[in-house]
Amino acid sequence: MIQVQHLSKQFRTAAAKEGAFKGVRMLFSRDVRIKHAVADINFNIEPGEFVGYIGPNGAGKSTTIKMLSGILHPTSGRVTIDGLSPHHDRRRVARKLGVLFGQRTQLWWDLPVRDSFDILAAMYGIDAGMMKRRLSQLSELLELEPFMDTPARKLSLGQRMRSDLAAALLHDPAILFLDEPTIGLDVTAKRSIRHFLKSINQHLGKTVLLTTHDMDDIEQLCGRVIVINDGKLGFDGSIDDLRRRIGLPTLIRITYKLPIADSAKHAITRSEFNGLQLSCGEDERVLTAACNREQLSAMDALRMLEQYGEIEDVHMEEPDFEEIVHRIY
Amino acid sequence: MKEQLRMYKLLAAASLRSRMQYKFNFWFSTIMAAVINVVEFAMLAVILAKFGHIKGWSLEEAGYLYAVLTLSKAIYRTLASDVHHLEHYLVSGDLDNLLLRPIPILLGLMSQNVSFRIGEVLQGMTVLILCMRELFQHGQITWTAIPYTVVIVLSGALLLFAIGLLTASLGFWLTRIEELQTITEDAARTAVQYPVSIYPKWMQGMLLTAIPVAFANYVPSLYLLRGEGGIGLLIASPVVAACLFAAGLLLWRRGLMRYQSTGT
Repeated sequence: MIQVQHLSKQFRTAAAKEGAFKGVRMLFSRDVRIKHAVADINFNIEPGEFVGYIGPNGAGKSTTIKMLSGILHPTSGRVTIDGLSPHHDRRRVARKLGVLFGQRTQLWWDLPVRDSFDILAAMYGIDAGMMKRRLSQLSELLELEPFMDTPARKLSLGQRMRSDLAAALLHDPAILFLDEPTIGLDVTAKRSIRHFLKSINQHLGKTVLLTTHDMDDIEQLCGRVIVINDGKLGFDGSIDDLRRRIGLPTLIRITYKLPIADSAKHAITRSEFNGLQLSCGEDERVLTAACNREQLSAMDALRMLEQYGEIEDVHMEEPDFEEIVHRIY
Repeated sequence: MKEQLRMYKLLAAASLRSRMQYKFNFWFSTIMAAVINVVEFAMLAVILAKFGHIKGWSLEEAGYLYAVLTLSKAIYRTLASDVHHLEHYLVSGDLDNLLLRPIPILLGLMSQNVSFRIGEVLQGMTVLILCMRELFQHGQITWTAIPYTVVIVLSGALLLFAIGLLTASLGFWLTRIEELQTITEDAARTAVQYPVSIYPKWMQGMLLTAIPVAFANYVPSLYLLRGEGGIGLLIASPVVAACLFAAGLLLWRRGLMRYQSTGT
């Protein structure tokens, strides 16, 4: 469905100068710095897959999505979407794609949401009957009705994201590119978007490529994860593979009622205790334990930590997403 | 073609509706544009009224040059307003949205931020009618001048569009093009509001070759109003416009391949 072969994109920027008159010298300079935003990326995505495309900021995620959707032309390499190149056949490929950029709306800013949908319907040549059916279906799933007549600029972020999703799906594309569709949303809004994405993938068989910084998006939605860092592919495989590869450690910080007993300190010097890695904080009553949740559930870990005294407070920290991506290298 | 015309109408209507959300701004900018135009022409009229003619061009002839150009510009800017504002799209990355749609990008761009240049049209028409009536009475032109004038206005609009498109396309390489546009579009067009013969030779050459905006009014008027040269001068105007527009489209396509979007 989606084939990416040796895809690269370089951006050229004028090299900054140092020292006196740097502004003027830059004007006359022919030095350009070439930034390899994406370097030699390869992957194939089959119909019906739900793929998470992750990586730290500036890794090249958006650049890749923009090349796949025909916005940017690659410096080298090839993209085929359903047998067509998004660069030579941009308009035909555009009909097969639904694209959402979470950071930027595609609705007509000053017009009611309904008008944006009407304009899009005309652009894609959707006839009135079909349009009505689709819209009522999407409106029901995404609960658009309360703000259909509100101008896009007055929508809340959650409402805007749902409207944008509907806009991306209006022409019934087989493929969806979603660039951070849950960014900035609250927990409820995230949940409803995830639920919706899951159902269009499972019930309607849409192929989805999603970029996100939210680990929960990945865990709950993506059967496959592709990791990009510094423009290069780092990992491509199932989510279980990824988890195994990193071993996701969770940090548990325990505050005891009383200073930690000597028996605990003894355990700490042994440093490892049944899959728990312990370390003492500055505070006498605080103990930090790193545990691999694959091997040890949080409840078991707590039960073990209880042995060292009465627990006053527990703080659990999931592994930081950027940290995980970094660990892959 | 029919499909594209329909698309343009639809998008232009949407953009007009958007602008009308801000009613005060819509009317205020429309009226201000009209006032500026009137003031501009008043200056030309004052000069002409004082001297009677400019380098052998009478008041009516100079008025004709001015009116034809004003109408061409009004048509170009009404139909393709945001081609002139491409820089904004390049800097903000707003071109992304157009690139995602199954429509020609230039068409999409042309239909954004549409504004009717009522002031310019009214003023251009008024000056044109007054001047042409005078010229009729002097026997300088005949009825054939009317269809010829339509051709001149339309090819002038295409020519201004072509120059605008070429300049805008350079934006894909240069990103910031506002200053360049001031020269190729605004300065050049202001220059040919007056008979080109008043300028030094090198500048006449510029306006006929480098930025051939003189073909929008001066060159065809030489034949139409004064019978100089041949009908070739009149034909040259749509030909030059079409060639330049083709070049503009070519550069536009090349430019799109270089579009860099923006980071998020």
